[in-house]
Amino acid sequence: MAGSDYVVTPPAGTPPDDAALLITCMAQGDREAFSRFYDIFAGTAFGLIRRVLRDPSTAEEVLQEVFWQVWQEAPNYDARRGSPVAWVLMRAKARAIDKLRSIRRRERTFVMPVDETVARQDDATVENPGVAAEERGLVHGALARLPHAQRRVIELAFFEGLTQTEIAARLGAPLGTVKTRARLAMERLRDALKGADGRG
Amino acid sequence: MNRDEIRELAAGYALGGLDGDDRARFEALLRAGDQEAAAELSDFEATLMGLAAESTEAPPPGVKAAVMARVAAEARAKPREAPARPAPARAAPRRSWWPAAWAAAMAAGIAAIVVGLSVSATYEKRVEGLAREAAGLRAELGRQQAMVALIRDPATQIVALAGLEEAPSARARMIWNAPAGGLFIAAGLPAAPAGKTYQLWAIAGKNAPVSAGVFEVDARGTGSLRVLPLAGVDKVDVFAVTLEPAGGLPAPSGKMYLAGKS
Repeated sequence: MAGSDYVVTPPAGTPPDDAALLITCMAQGDREAFSRFYDIFAGTAFGLIRRVLRDPSTAEEVLQEVFWQVWQEAPNYDARRGSPVAWVLMRAKARAIDKLRSIRRRERTFVMPVDETVARQDDATVENPGVAAEERGLVHGALARLPHAQRRVIELAFFEGLTQTEIAARLGAPLGTVKTRARLAMERLRDALKGADGRG
Repeated sequence: MNRDEIRELAAGYALGGLDGDDRARFEALLRAGDQEAAAELSDFEATLMGLAAESTEAPPPGVKAAVMARVAAEARAKPREAPARPAPARAAPRRSWWPAAWAAAMAAGIAAIVVGLSVSATYEKRVEGLAREAAGLRAELGRQQAMVALIRDPATQIVALAGLEEAPSARARMIWNAPAGGLFIAAGLPAAPAGKTYQLWAIAGKNAPVSAGVFEVDARGTGSLRVLPLAGVDKVDVFAVTLEPAGGLPAPSGKMYLAGKS
């Protein structure tokens, strides 16, 4: 991916090259390398998982699964296909969304509101992580600077795993509007993140 | 398809929210090698990763402990092999200290094996010693049990032997059971001279004495002999002890030291 424009600096300030090196060592069964890799990326991955899943113990369970998967897939890591941080976050997001969907299937009777009116009533429940994240002060940075309507589309798609048709139903908006909002939101985010990186 | 449309699909695809038809259309573009679609997609994917990385939250330490434990358990179950695929070139020049770490880990592993072997050798010796000790105790227990059984048997008789002229203070007991044999215990006998030994005889009626075996006495003059059943002898009238040449004789030839009637 053209991730070079979006170098995400890991908390420990470890250059991405070192993270790729750690993955190489992990592929050879190096547990110390894995320990360091975890220390660098667990916070970022957990932040993402927590935005999708409100329940802390469920989020912790998913985090554990993500890093177990990362350890097992280390031999298949290909630097040409993505940076280490993207490699971890893709898995974190996919796992968290899978978990959220399985929870939804179990609790279908009182979730899946058909329009925004019902969705607002649900805001205080487990089933609205976007709002939950906002309550916890997690919505900040580039996402917080989006217009509300665009932010909702991103939240519902990226943090709740809804398809565009489902988002349209949830918001009571035409599908075409949802698609346009998604594109506009993504373009704004890209510009904002590039700007924040000081290299756009 | 115009540029906005492609971007729209790319944005939805990156978000993971494209419905069936749209997803099929966009994937067809990617398969067809559409440069713009691929570029937009990777751009948006990177954007989302940047978005995801904006908020971090430290997980509780228990999660790491659990993952590391799982990894350690897997390493014990099936050690990981070196990957078939060569490492990325950019990483290669900076790997220098990892092989050293590996060598150290291997050395530690070998040391553990050596220590393990030496510990196991020590334990094997110990187990051998215990086995010998147990065999000895079992044999001793067998002897004790045989004696107790012998004494308990109503058919068992105890014959007292008194010292004769050569050893007036000598005393002996014969615990005798014809079918089972018996146990002879003597005390107060003088030490047998060199080349000589004491021999126990069983005499039935007017028959010739039958040898019941030879025995040595210790410095205090005590000796004992386990006597096996004597062939053709079911009733013994007299037990007697004589001093005979070492190894004993088929018939008594020396002086009598002890004698007792049953």
